[in-house]
Amino acid sequence: MTCGVHVSHHVVTFAPRRLFALPILDGGNTVWLMRQSIRRGGLVTAGLAPLALVLAACSGNGPASQGAATAGGGSSAGASSGAITVAASDDTNIQELFQQVLIPDFQAANPGVTVKLTYDLHGTNDQANFAKLAAAAQQNREPAMDVTASFVPKAAKAGLLSTDTSKVTALSGIDPKIVAAGGPGAVPYRASSVLLAYNPDKVSNPPKTLDELLTWIKANPGGVTYTSAKTGGSGGAFVSTVLDKYVPPADRDQMTTGYHKELEKSWDQGWKELASLNPSVFQKGVYPNGNNQTLQLLSSGQIDMAPVWSDQFISGQASGSIPKNFKAQQISNPSFTGGASYLGVTKGSKNQDLAWKFIDFILTPEEQAKIADKIAGYPAIPLSQLPAGTQAKFQSADTQNLRAGYYSDHSTDINNLWDQNVPGK
Amino acid sequence: MSKGRTHRLGGLALASPPLVLVAVFVGFPIIVAVAYSLGHTEGLNSTVAAIASDQVTVDEPWKVTFGAYTTVFSDPRFQRDFVVTVLATLATTVIVVVLAWAIALYVRLSDTWISRALSALAVVPMFIPVVIASWAILTFYNADGFLRSVAAQFGMEAPVWGFSMTAVVIGLVWTHLPFATLMVVSGVQGVPDALIEAARDAGASLFRTVLRVIAPLALVPTVIAGTFTAIGTLGSFTVPYFTGPNAPKMLGVDMADYFQAFNLPQASVVMAVVVFVVASGFGALYVWANYRAAAQSGRV
Repeated sequence: MTCGVHVSHHVVTFAPRRLFALPILDGGNTVWLMRQSIRRGGLVTAGLAPLALVLAACSGNGPASQGAATAGGGSSAGASSGAITVAASDDTNIQELFQQVLIPDFQAANPGVTVKLTYDLHGTNDQANFAKLAAAAQQNREPAMDVTASFVPKAAKAGLLSTDTSKVTALSGIDPKIVAAGGPGAVPYRASSVLLAYNPDKVSNPPKTLDELLTWIKANPGGVTYTSAKTGGSGGAFVSTVLDKYVPPADRDQMTTGYHKELEKSWDQGWKELASLNPSVFQKGVYPNGNNQTLQLLSSGQIDMAPVWSDQFISGQASGSIPKNFKAQQISNPSFTGGASYLGVTKGSKNQDLAWKFIDFILTPEEQAKIADKIAGYPAIPLSQLPAGTQAKFQSADTQNLRAGYYSDHSTDINNLWDQNVPGK
Repeated sequence: MSKGRTHRLGGLALASPPLVLVAVFVGFPIIVAVAYSLGHTEGLNSTVAAIASDQVTVDEPWKVTFGAYTTVFSDPRFQRDFVVTVLATLATTVIVVVLAWAIALYVRLSDTWISRALSALAVVPMFIPVVIASWAILTFYNADGFLRSVAAQFGMEAPVWGFSMTAVVIGLVWTHLPFATLMVVSGVQGVPDALIEAARDAGASLFRTVLRVIAPLALVPTVIAGTFTAIGTLGSFTVPYFTGPNAPKMLGVDMADYFQAFNLPQASVVMAVVVFVVASGFGALYVWANYRAAAQSGRV
């Protein structure tokens, strides 16, 4: 199983998935990095913040045991009252997920508990908020958030998260590779994968494997493009998948859970393969910035096929921005990577117990099913634990078999090396 | 003499709040950033340094290293992007100044409703957000854009400028033209009628009148317009990010990529310092122009 961390989960973390987050800073200006950093990729991770308490919220009996803890008041959980702050950032769908579903549900299940959400739409302030979190840790002050759904892998890597994940009962049911890819303390709470979307009017017999796809691209010049790896995870997944063609499986496993720069040598052939696609790609080598621009090229008929995020494709068709007759499917050998979004408890939080309890709550089958309904996100826990209706919804998506992406440091290297080796070569 | 000193101190006191503000919020961060690019990761730089990868650092506070600069300058990608950025800046500046002058002269020499409408129209882009403008420019020049659709109506094939440096230069001219037009038009309008008429009466051709009478008198606003255009273009991000190619890129986009997507903030700061140095070159022109203007009016 797995809910994959897709390719770049850094992309997951920092790059906008569902909308291109606008760079608001323009620059007339030279320097100031802080401004620059303010972003251009939105974040992707939408966070959630569930934490779990040691409470037994495992599959089935969650509510009952939580009830017991609440009644006990003074139990070791000690979380029957209190307040926590959850920080998240992403598009409005994630905001609604927290505001209308997860937080009210948690408060209803735990009377007396208050959860405050600080939401950063499109992740414009992620860099600044991350710097604040790091600064608070350095100065031993309490951070502004107890639970974060933003920049989790980055915070985990920097050692800013509590690693007490044993408090999340459902974690044992999740693919360890996906959990490890988030870094120490990161808890995956939802996922999505990259699929190959195509226009059936133009493509009657879509490629089923990566090799078929590469052949198709070369046989149909201008028919395909993908989001530049650094600006969108859908393109990052395509790039990783082509690279993976040449990476020995044992090495690949190591690169999923840790940083091994020496293994990056096996990417060389993949970069050549990707650069050789330039003349066959849309406008002889244009890779749009941001997932949305690629979707727009596909929807407007300028390209016939593109790797896209599953949730973006599903919600795009629902809203009408993607024509209803368009189709999306997974390829094989290897398949496109998928990605998880993570939650974490900040190390300096004074409300650790309640924070973990929140995360544990979000991983209950009931809440996981609601995530699937609300935002078309893949559940993080195994599909078999969810209600039959939800299972049916993801029948063809194979949510249990997502291929994990690279460890975050490798993902940033992929961004950099792609930029160096592919466009314009 | 003591009266003069009091006067000067009073002036300084009046100016000090903005000076302090600029020093704290602009000057200090610049010093910190430059120190980081020279290998100093302690103090205020420790937060960014804790996250970054591939940094060149020094182990003693009194040392500096140019390692980060060497790394950036030896990267062929940076060399390519630096050259492209400078060329795009020069092209944009020349086009903007030429267009602004054309509009200014037209308004000055032919005061009709058309000329006034033209000068008003040139200022419109100032009121349109750059992000929106970038998207509009992209869709206009795309493969399925307006330009090509119109050309196709007449059986012609127009070029595809979307995602190319041509689109970037068009976008930058679009965003910088309003300010330059305002500056140059006001400068040219300020040339007294009497001077122009005297030159014409003495038999000077229109071209000669412009070259010898109007241009020298409007030189200072032109230099100011040019330097502002150049400095703004040099560090621009939004227009090249949306409308430009994946390679080569302008340095504004590179800085954002290195800082965030590649997790190489030190390299990003190095580029920022480089842009800063180049921009100071243009800035020097601006200072010179201001000084000259002040000298002409007898203030210095």
